[in-house]
Amino acid sequence: MYETMTISVIVNGTAYTCEVAPHVTLLDFLRDTLDLKGAKECCAVGECGACTLKVAGETVNSCLFLAVEADGCEIETIEGVAQGDTLSPVQDAFLTCGAVQCGFCIPGMVMSAEDLMAQNGAPSETEVREALSGNLCRCGGYNRMFDAVNVASGHAEEVKMQTGHADTGATVGTNAVRAGGVNRVTGHQAFVADLEIDGMVHLKLVTLNAARAEIISIDIAAACAVPGVLDVITAADLPDPMPRFGPVFKDRPIMADGETQYHGEPVAVVAAEDKDIAAYAASLVKVDYETLPAVTDFAAALAPDAPLVQPNAEARSNILKARDYGWGDVDSVNAALVVDNRYSFPMVTHFAIEPHGFIVSAKPDGMTIWSPVQHPYLLQKIMAELFDHPLSAVRVLAADPGGGFGGKQNPKFEPLVAYASLRLGRPCRLILTLEETFQAVRRAAADVHIRTGFAQDGEILFQDIKSDYLIGAYVDIAERVMTKGNYLGCGPYRVKNARVHARAVLSHTTPSTAFRGFGTPQINWAVESQIDAGARALGLDGLNIRLRNLAGRGDEVVKGDFPADGDWPASVKMAAEMVGWTDPLPEGRGRGIAVGVKSGATTGLSNSTVRLLADGSVIVYAGTSDMGQGARTIFAQLAADAFGAPLDRVSVVMGDTSVVPFDLQTSASRSTVFMGTALTRACEDIQRQVLELACETSGLSEADIAVGNGTIQIAGEFHSIFDFVQQSLGKWNGELVGTGRMRKPTDPEHALGGTPAFFEFNCTAFEVEVDEATGEILIHKHVTVGDVGKALNPLQVEMQDEGAAIMGLGHSVMEQIIMDDEGRIKNLGAIDYRIVTTKDMPLSMKTGMVENQDGPGPYGSKGVSEGAILCTAPALAAAVAQATGAVVHDLPLSPERLWAALQSK
Amino acid sequence: MKPFQYSCPASLQEASEGLIHAIGDVRLLAGGTDLTVGLRHGHFQADTVLDLKRVVEMKPKITASQNEIVLSGFVAMTAIAQSDLINRHFQALAEAADVVGSRQIRNRATLIGNICNASPAADTVPVLAACGASVDIFGPQGARSMPVTAFIQGNRKIALAVGELVTAVRLPFKNGQTGTAFGRITRRRGVDLATVNLCCHIGATGLATFAFGAASPRPLVVTDTSGMLCDPNTTEDQIDAVIDGMVAQAKPISDVRASADYRVAMLKVLATRALATALQRQREALADV
Ligand SMILES: Cc1cc2nc3c(=O)[nH]c(=O)nc-3n(C[C@H](O)[C@H](O)[C@H](O)COP(=O)(O)OP(=O)(O)OC[C@H]3O[C@@H](n4cnc5c(N)ncnc54)[C@H](O)[C@@H]3O)c2cc1C
Ligand code: FES
Ligand code: FES
Repeated sequence: MYETMTISVIVNGTAYTCEVAPHVTLLDFLRDTLDLKGAKECCAVGECGACTLKVAGETVNSCLFLAVEADGCEIETIEGVAQGDTLSPVQDAFLTCGAVQCGFCIPGMVMSAEDLMAQNGAPSETEVREALSGNLCRCGGYNRMFDAVNVASGHAEEVKMQTGHADTGATVGTNAVRAGGVNRVTGHQAFVADLEIDGMVHLKLVTLNAARAEIISIDIAAACAVPGVLDVITAADLPDPMPRFGPVFKDRPIMADGETQYHGEPVAVVAAEDKDIAAYAASLVKVDYETLPAVTDFAAALAPDAPLVQPNAEARSNILKARDYGWGDVDSVNAALVVDNRYSFPMVTHFAIEPHGFIVSAKPDGMTIWSPVQHPYLLQKIMAELFDHPLSAVRVLAADPGGGFGGKQNPKFEPLVAYASLRLGRPCRLILTLEETFQAVRRAAADVHIRTGFAQDGEILFQDIKSDYLIGAYVDIAERVMTKGNYLGCGPYRVKNARVHARAVLSHTTPSTAFRGFGTPQINWAVESQIDAGARALGLDGLNIRLRNLAGRGDEVVKGDFPADGDWPASVKMAAEMVGWTDPLPEGRGRGIAVGVKSGATTGLSNSTVRLLADGSVIVYAGTSDMGQGARTIFAQLAADAFGAPLDRVSVVMGDTSVVPFDLQTSASRSTVFMGTALTRACEDIQRQVLELACETSGLSEADIAVGNGTIQIAGEFHSIFDFVQQSLGKWNGELVGTGRMRKPTDPEHALGGTPAFFEFNCTAFEVEVDEATGEILIHKHVTVGDVGKALNPLQVEMQDEGAAIMGLGHSVMEQIIMDDEGRIKNLGAIDYRIVTTKDMPLSMKTGMVENQDGPGPYGSKGVSEGAILCTAPALAAAVAQATGAVVHDLPLSPERLWAALQSK
Repeated sequence: MKPFQYSCPASLQEASEGLIHAIGDVRLLAGGTDLTVGLRHGHFQADTVLDLKRVVEMKPKITASQNEIVLSGFVAMTAIAQSDLINRHFQALAEAADVVGSRQIRNRATLIGNICNASPAADTVPVLAACGASVDIFGPQGARSMPVTAFIQGNRKIALAVGELVTAVRLPFKNGQTGTAFGRITRRRGVDLATVNLCCHIGATGLATFAFGAASPRPLVVTDTSGMLCDPNTTEDQIDAVIDGMVAQAKPISDVRASADYRVAMLKVLATRALATALQRQREALADV
């Protein structure tokens, strides 16, 4: 298809001589020709470092390196770092220090850390941050990586991974090593882009440089003429009327239907034998289109004569849904102080380091889908409906996502890929670029107008909130995001009178979806900033005013609903203590503190099957997606302890809808509670069978035998179930199978369809210093404390908490999608959309947790993965306000914005 | 990426001929950190890519003579940041090289590439411009030299004729008499392109020169001919006024990275800080000799 050249390289000590085309990057050559898939592609512009490897002894971004340039060179990749089964000290430390979450960034990160160690055996903290700053980790493992380098370099003591409590052997409550961790530090974890399916065709989307446009004609001739191109599919090739789908509203077309509704909506898709040809041919598809007026911000979307984004929707406006909540009587309150402000929160994007990817092998009678989707069973259902298949004919193989954060919950291009596969009779693969990923999903922007009434002593007398969420052209799950975020809009306080009027406003922009915090960070930015505004006006302290109003255990935060289920003031006091709230404030510094609460999952069903095999080993089936939160590890711990089995005898099977029973979804920090309970029940089911087995084998009656967590007591003698089944189950010649489920039924009367299963509560505090000349913030301390019920794996709780905190820092100080007047995104991709790097990390970041075993999950656990993102921005802004006197109402608090605020102070 | 032909000339002569005889668009490849991104995103078209890394004359070398330092061939940022010679005599260049991208980028990114890419935000360019650097150019008409400030003609525009390429960078100096400092503002601390950047150079004549980056399509060089900035008797207010006057010549644009107002304000902050650092360094250099 194109001319190639012969190159010779030595990779990890093995010599290869191969043919390669000049335009092929070293990254693609290693991955596609040599099948070394450890190095990953995310940004393809040298920003993320996922593709880092060594050429001739120096680390490089292999996405910017042509394979032909490497001719004659020695190359070292992540696959060559471990010696056989022996991990390098860096790899080992990454695992034991908890640096590995989803793992997508890890191969590149390990290469950079290895390089640092080779250059400088005893790096300082600053040198570590510098050396790793070309590697982005969206899961936010930076703090753990700093630890790991310290451990690997002998600066810090080696952490011994616990495999169980010394006395009981129990794994719950210990820092059990991340299941799947070894594969992630060695580059062997297979993500969706690493899968090779026989006969696979490569797809590329064709998009327009416009937001809303009428498609007049599409000329595919030039693209079709490129050797290697198999097909160019346009809307005309798809069923008429255009099939539409969505998790709730079925409004998203398979591809643009006559008109694009947002920048990046595909108008055609090219199918070719390789991805470079597909991409090149896509650039040759000529689309004649006419740009139409687009509404891409609140003012335009809400204007009386605004073009309607969904003309066929019931509402004759772009307001998709409005919700009203409240209690008491706001208007009749006589408040000592009323604070009235408007706050904005920009559109931000998930930026998982793994871009979205989909592979579908479709046949007339069924299909297999490979997708790193957070909700495999929802995808299965939607595809079965679209293609008129029974659920059993649609198999979803959900590869572990390389980070999800909500962005990978719902189907996107799986239907399009399936149509292509049906047409071509071959499996089709579409791996999005990071730029395309930005155009696929995002977080809703918010505009919140809020009036808060205070008594002289700081008591919150009323909250009067008007809150608009700017959602995209298709609804996805955005309406629920607005609903759920605003339902708890008044925060974790006892508010006497409340009125919340919240709206989801459609616009010609990227569809907005779930994103860590699910609508809470937006509203909470406003509500928590109001508390500080009140405190400043009343001369009160940010900590005291919160303690004055915070709901205690059993207090209602929404009148008539599920009351506070934790000791929230304890978290706040711990955070204050950790940040040194009462210590004298160093010159030029400021401190801020804020709280946030989010409703856990409200409804849903999770099933689990557990098999206890004759040799005591255990297989757990759980339909959760392990996207970095470490669900696999927690599930393995729960099952290990249920049978007194060593952790390495438990395997967890996930992500195959044809094998693993139904789980509603992986979201709302629900997995530990919902799936954890289901699997605990499945284990209990087995424990009952163990009892039966023991009666049979011992001839004793049930009264003489006691089965508990992990152990069985027969005639006064204790055994682990693990040992017992090995001796006894052999006689049955089989295994024990248990099933369990947790279901929280829908309550049609409840605004959210059900009360929260638990609350996720967090308190965040900062100590900062500001360079007033430039507006740059230096964060000395960033602490977060969660009310976690029980930390089943404290290290994982910290990892989740830090990850959420760092992500929160991102939207607080640098993240935002910027559009031009016509709704085209100007900062697509990694060059101009900024996320936190190692060098942007606070000088100190610490996590605390309050454990009262008061959650509904196993051992009294609650979900934990979102808390620390809920109140980052208001806590930081309060600290900045104290340090400088400048109060900012719009995010992000970028240096420029803060500088501008300081100018007009 | 669109398919292209690739060749690897062994000498400058061959490279120059390659440039002249190539069919269609031809692009030179140094470290590829700009070129590959440009090709991938379609900002650059290439039918042929001429990789200069195997050109013998382009082997990286940093040498000093009595009155200049020469960075010949493809010296990468890592090497500049670590070079004793550069750190001793042109600290600002080492500072600028050290903030380019990440370690991975600096291992590949070359000084010549940074100049020839001619991005207004390039970090080494203000340093080169303030220090009066020039580039050596090889071509069919033979070799010539040109000041960096004239060589860069505008955003992505350089003064090369057909068949010409850059082979070295020269920095004039007098031992122990200069002080330089680099400064930049970015949106975040990790890897980022400059919102604005600048270099302050205090020369042997005792005059302060600034070059501002990301403030105009080509490097803007302004010298304080009054000498007030280097005069120990000048008051802070007077310094402020002089710097204000110099910064006023910058006419930056507003874009996705920053507004023009912020850029101007930051140039002033950076200039004041860089001046103090450069003066301090000049004093230390004098004391050293
Ligand atoms: C992630 C990332 C971060 C970056 N951060 C920064 C930063 O902080 N600051 C900064 O200044 N830059 C930055 N850059 C830009 C880039 O790294 C620099 O401009 C680099 O110095 C370019 O050098 P190169 O060797 O890679 O050039 P190449 O990409 O190989 O070439 C650049 C241009 O110069 C031309 N060229 C190359 N050699 C010659 C020659 N001998 N004669 C004539 N023309 C020639 C090429 O044709 C091309 O047009 C960044 C880039 C990336 C990808
Ligand atoms: S740096 Fe190469 S993929 Fe991001
Ligand atoms: S572990 Fe780093 S991106 Fe997920």
